[in-house]
Amino acid sequence: MVTSVVIVGVGGQGVMTLARWLGRAAMAAGYDVKIAEVHGLSQRGGSVEVHVRLGDRVYGPVVSEGDADYVVAMEALEALRAFRYIGGNTVLVVNKRVIQIPGRYLDPEQVYKALQTYKNLRLVPAFDIAMKIGDPIYENSVLLGYLAKLLGVDERVDWLDERNRRAFDEGRRLASGDLQPSASSMAS
Amino acid sequence: MRHLLLGNEAIAYGALSAGVAVAAGYPGTPSSEIIETLLEYRDRFVQWASNEKTAVEIAYGAALAGARALAAMKHVGLNVAADPLHSAAYTGVVGGFLIVTADDPNMWSSQNEQDTRWYGLQSYIPVLEPSDPQEAFKMAKEGLMLSEALEHPVILRSVTRVSHVRAPVVVEPPAPPKFGKFARNVERYVLVPQNARRRKAEVLRRWDSFADLSSRFLSIEGDGEVVVVASGVGYLYAVEALERLRVKAAVVKVGMPVPLPKKLADVGAGEVVVVEEGDPVVEMQLRAMGVKTRGKIDGFFPKIGELTLRSVVEGISKALGLGVRLPDPPTPPLQPPPRPPYLCPGCPHMGTFYAFKIASAGQKVIWSGDIGCYTLGINTGQQDLATHMGSSLGLGMGIAVADREKLVVATVGDSTFYHAALPQLIDLKTKKVPLVLVVMDNEYTAMTGGQPSPSRSVPAERLAEAVGVKHYVIDPADLKRSVEIAKAAVADAKSGEPVVVVSRRPCTLEALRHARRSGFKPPKFYVVADKCRSCGICYNVLKCYAIAKLPDGKAWIDPSLCSGCSMCAQVCPYDAIKPTEPEKVGKWLELWSQA
Repeated sequence: MVTSVVIVGVGGQGVMTLARWLGRAAMAAGYDVKIAEVHGLSQRGGSVEVHVRLGDRVYGPVVSEGDADYVVAMEALEALRAFRYIGGNTVLVVNKRVIQIPGRYLDPEQVYKALQTYKNLRLVPAFDIAMKIGDPIYENSVLLGYLAKLLGVDERVDWLDERNRRAFDEGRRLASGDLQPSASSMAS
Repeated sequence: MRHLLLGNEAIAYGALSAGVAVAAGYPGTPSSEIIETLLEYRDRFVQWASNEKTAVEIAYGAALAGARALAAMKHVGLNVAADPLHSAAYTGVVGGFLIVTADDPNMWSSQNEQDTRWYGLQSYIPVLEPSDPQEAFKMAKEGLMLSEALEHPVILRSVTRVSHVRAPVVVEPPAPPKFGKFARNVERYVLVPQNARRRKAEVLRRWDSFADLSSRFLSIEGDGEVVVVASGVGYLYAVEALERLRVKAAVVKVGMPVPLPKKLADVGAGEVVVVEEGDPVVEMQLRAMGVKTRGKIDGFFPKIGELTLRSVVEGISKALGLGVRLPDPPTPPLQPPPRPPYLCPGCPHMGTFYAFKIASAGQKVIWSGDIGCYTLGINTGQQDLATHMGSSLGLGMGIAVADREKLVVATVGDSTFYHAALPQLIDLKTKKVPLVLVVMDNEYTAMTGGQPSPSRSVPAERLAEAVGVKHYVIDPADLKRSVEIAKAAVADAKSGEPVVVVSRRPCTLEALRHARRSGFKPPKFYVVADKCRSCGICYNVLKCYAIAKLPDGKAWIDPSLCSGCSMCAQVCPYDAIKPTEPEKVGKWLELWSQA
């Protein structure tokens, strides 16, 4: 059995780091893993997409259209762009956040509404939590915690520093069904 | 010990475990991490070279002197190094000489998707092709040792989905570097025609013997009436596709696609399905041996782009007449607008483009571009071409002499300037072609992740001075002064004189990294909504990625993207853009210029 995860976002958000950390967590949990990254053109601002596959033995590194078990979007417009990876039972995890495209403006509420037409949507306030922790750069750790919990690979993440760890735990808590961010970890 | 390694890191560790002593390369996606990883090992000579030819020459020379040496680059880089590559096969080497090239099918960050394996056939150099990071480690090690044993260069061909795949890899510790001693051998190393002719015969003799050698890199898995021959990453897709299709097949895994072993002529009595990434290099050789194939030649698999599980499932299904077609992927409930890559917020090139746009307003300008971050000047309409490293000045000169009515502004990054434009600069002077050459100097090879460029030790204006070309230096974050100088440069070119403008400020991302490390938080800028008159200069002309256009046309700056460069405040005619912490602006620009 191989689990296929597609992670998308905007250049500069830490999409690669999220994928890499997820891969480390999966490896620590005893899985074979392959992470297909594309780096180069979009340091900041372009669409970024990374594929993570984990299982007992992983062959191909890339997830095909309609084949993802999980699609994780660090930004809502990129979630729409990643719809082609969605199959019958795909769980779509989306950071509640819109990064506007220069010269365009899309109403975030309309974007969320469009996403809500998909049955398996989980809209996660990762950006808001990261800002409360003190910096938008922690939003990928919130999503890492969320995803690691869903995939059952949330036990060993000892490389995370204190604030990333807090973000991770928030994400993990959200995935466990406790949808209220805890008060204690929010005080910074 | 297993490490989660990028294919490129695995290649570096493979070379280290083979005792590589000399390594050189030129950065280029998807190859850059090979040299980056090797640079950590200070007991060896590891360097970024100014271009791929120099890199190959350094490694080639070292291998002639008996050292174990590696050169790394992306596929198009091998074109730059093609001259010494071909001669290297003629002379052979004494130590190990591994040329690693990373191909980029689907052109994720390249201008073409050529297949390096052709170079193996063309230059009589064997090619190894790993399928994943673990194999990349193994083949880098074996390739270097094999090269030394054969006294012949060996190519390691990677692709994006090997170089930029991260997977668990078991690595062995580095072996001590093997340097060497050069021994004269004029008949072998001086390729005057008389010697070269003798060496050609020797190359052909070797080539025949390599064909048998490549069976070492061949394995056969499973059995069934169907035979699939798969090379490199094609093997992974083939295994998974056969599983998906529930087809029992013998999979012949090819690790050395060039040259193919002669015994492959006996493979399969019927037709063989060939799965490979790139061009039909294996398939063509199989056909030359008389094997009937179904692969890319007859269109069973696409000839453009990367393999995907989907294209391999459908290709094998078509080749076997199974009639399997995968369902079309769903369409999103709302079509998101495209998000083309932009210059980073605060990129100094943003200021350079702005200055030249204003300075050349009203003129017929040809923007002769090049390969790098600044190709994104396409978003402001300031890139009319970008075809290869050095196209800016090279093609720009041709355009300027052919179409004398237009003004040519050639834009080249610093790394590309040293890579390709130096000999052209000499032509610019000696042929007196009137144009403006803008060296967009951000002191790093930013597009590939921030490798140092020669900019600091060899400033571009000093070279212009040495050559005798008129030159100016600007700081693109100072827009007013930059526009003035850009106007002067445009006037020079219009009066018939070639002119160089070096626009210098370090890469914003590097500056932000330095600031983060030193604990300095750069200021942010924001729009005073009452003062904004929706003129759009900041988001339409400057085109800063951090600035969004609100539904009423007013500007809004995303604080999570703003880098505090101040350029938007400088271009705003209504003084509507302000810094959050005015006292920090000067300090930040100062710190930044030292990054």
